[in-house]
Amino acid sequence: MSRIKDLQKNLFGGTTSNARQFGMIFTLVAIVVLFQILTDGLTLRSDNLIALFNQNSYILILAIGMLMVIVAGHIDLSVGSIAAFTGILVAKSMAEWSLPWPVAILFGLAIGAIIGAWQGFWVAYIGVPAFIVTLAGMLLFRGGNQFIGNANTIAVPEGFRVIGSGFLPEVGPDTGYNNLTLLLGLAACVAVVWREFQARKTRREMDADPAPMWISVLRMAVMVGVIVFASLRFASGRVGTSFPVSGIILVALVLAYSFYTRNTAAGRHIYAVGGNSRAAELSGVKLKRVNFFVMMNMAVLASLAGMIFVARSAASGPQDGNGWELDAIAAVFIGGAAVSGGIGTISGSIVGGLVMAVLNNGLQLLGVGTDRVQIIKGLVLLLAVALDVYNKKQGKFSIIGSLTRSFRRDTPTPPTAPPDAERETARTAVPS
Amino acid sequence: MRKLIGKSMAIGAIAALALTATACGSGRDGDTGGAKGGDTKGFAADSLIGVALPSKTSENWVLAGDLFTNGLKEAGFKSDVQYAGASTTVADQQAQITAMVTKGAKVIVIGATDAAQLSTQVAAAHAAGAKVIAYDRLITNTPDLDYYVAFDNFKVGQLQGQALLDGMKAKKPNGPYNIELFSGSPDDNNAGVFFNGAMDVLKPEIDKGNVVVASKQTDVKQTAIQGWKAEGAQARMDQLLTSTYGNKELDGVLSPNDTLARAIITSIKGAGKKIPVVTGQDSEVESVKSIMAGEQYMTINKDTRNLVKQTIEMVKALQAGNTPEVNDTKSYNNGVKVVDTYLLPPVAVTKANAAEAYANDPKLSPLTK
Repeated sequence: MSRIKDLQKNLFGGTTSNARQFGMIFTLVAIVVLFQILTDGLTLRSDNLIALFNQNSYILILAIGMLMVIVAGHIDLSVGSIAAFTGILVAKSMAEWSLPWPVAILFGLAIGAIIGAWQGFWVAYIGVPAFIVTLAGMLLFRGGNQFIGNANTIAVPEGFRVIGSGFLPEVGPDTGYNNLTLLLGLAACVAVVWREFQARKTRREMDADPAPMWISVLRMAVMVGVIVFASLRFASGRVGTSFPVSGIILVALVLAYSFYTRNTAAGRHIYAVGGNSRAAELSGVKLKRVNFFVMMNMAVLASLAGMIFVARSAASGPQDGNGWELDAIAAVFIGGAAVSGGIGTISGSIVGGLVMAVLNNGLQLLGVGTDRVQIIKGLVLLLAVALDVYNKKQGKFSIIGSLTRSFRRDTPTPPTAPPDAERETARTAVPS
Repeated sequence: MRKLIGKSMAIGAIAALALTATACGSGRDGDTGGAKGGDTKGFAADSLIGVALPSKTSENWVLAGDLFTNGLKEAGFKSDVQYAGASTTVADQQAQITAMVTKGAKVIVIGATDAAQLSTQVAAAHAAGAKVIAYDRLITNTPDLDYYVAFDNFKVGQLQGQALLDGMKAKKPNGPYNIELFSGSPDDNNAGVFFNGAMDVLKPEIDKGNVVVASKQTDVKQTAIQGWKAEGAQARMDQLLTSTYGNKELDGVLSPNDTLARAIITSIKGAGKKIPVVTGQDSEVESVKSIMAGEQYMTINKDTRNLVKQTIEMVKALQAGNTPEVNDTKSYNNGVKVVDTYLLPPVAVTKANAAEAYANDPKLSPLTK
């Protein structure tokens, strides 16, 4: 009894919302295992994993920004068009003004910031609903893309392509692996272990019960095991390939934004605004500034995603960005965000995006046509959200939560979970 | 004390994992790749052949997909025929080609949705030792494309231009004739080739003043219909009729394909005007019906059967380790290299020769009787 309780409380987090997130991770693992069996081991082969990240990093980057927009209680329909608009401008800037590619990337981010400021202004300061502002933006920037590009496809230079289809260089001794990828994996392992001990120390200092040692060890072993497995896979691809550059950009963004949304006051304000904007405002949250920030941030990330896609495609084309907003929004909702705002996590959205990505990839490996893939993805989205809504109506957070209910203490658990980006809680913030 | 045990346990676990990691051995699959793709030694007769086609927007592609599935099966290959989705065409096709490479396809046949946005995937296919054949649409900006198989598209344009002139002359012996020009999607490499072929025939007549583009919209950017979308062509024709043909007679319309031709005719009928000479291409069922009913003037028969058959011949030659037959090694430069090409001749079809042209086509020949 007590061991199960410990495990439930500490490994998957004690709260129901964490159990729900565990449910999503479980689904992801189940899908991966399913396709691994169905495709005869192709799914987890290194070249396929690399391709998976290359193909989806731009959607996952969009999902980060979209999560913050949705948590704040808005929506952004314009991301695909902004990505396309930035893509064509950046491609043209390199082709016609021969801007060096690092400058062109900064130029692209600046365009994103300007567009974001424009949309943020209408949403935050004029009070036009984001749905309308971004619907207008969707038309505006799609038209802008066609206007500037004349609907032509414009190629981008080799150096620029690194951010979309580049790999880490091969350095050091010939170990049979990509050494830099191994180093990254090692760094991740060290970080996980360091954090676990740090969290235990914090809890002791706060006079809270640290999790039993065996749970910490189990948790670390699972995490380190996954990281070791992944880095070996990514490092053992064809010579010249490694963990992709676009994947590194994604991981860096996930870590940074997870920290921001969990551990900073400004980040928690987004949750406060989405949960109850009146209450947040009365508590001193600068409503306009938060709304302006999330819209602007989304546009900058959309620009980055657009550039990564252009780099991967080696050219900017008129079809870029079509339907991306829907993929990003689907990832966020599958990842457990609430339609009404205030609830959701970055890591949840990434897991949601990965569920879609693995589903897509696995079905393609099986040779299922796009028509049927779309039908399946549509049903998965509907079921994932419907399950969530249904469970909330029943007063439970999730099936996992309800199954494990009997193991739980009757008194509420004190909210002393250690800060842990891998297992963020999805609760609404109470502004302090 | 417990802490210490825990710590040592953790360290032990990590050490064990690290050990397994190194013990797993170094198994980097594949060599630097390029060398593999260099010289052809053939491959197993039951290998996987990937076919990536654009979205199902025209019946031509649907037919091609069926023909590939059946043809490759008959030839003893395993096949994986995929269409891009309707809205996210480029990203879908990129993912599909990557999946085919992962599955170990030996030859990948690509009907590109965007000619310039596939170079990364084609390079990956090449590095994995697969041969890449561009089907119907040339893939640009890549050194890794091996072959191109298509109908002679410049010739298609020339046939359209000539048929337009002939058709107008048959209706009205003397000019000048008022015409309007339409061209295909600007991201499709072929659209410009069709247009240039047609202008090759029409330009001398326009210069002589015998043929007049009354709206003066002769630039390919003005005439282009993004995505070959019927509604785009219909809207443009509506606008041309309002702006230019209030009291003028329209004698002919150069349309690059059947879908657009029918949209143009719908627009003209809607405006209550007499249907002019309208060209087309692809021999779609509805257009053949329209030709037999005397509405659309002509279409081009590019028998998809022949094109697919020729492509499968190339795959067979590659399987046996031979060099596939090509008949044009000069004209198709994709921006990086001149691609070895096999060109098939197109045939112009009007009401007069329809029965003869479609005699071998089980779907179209009944329509011509």
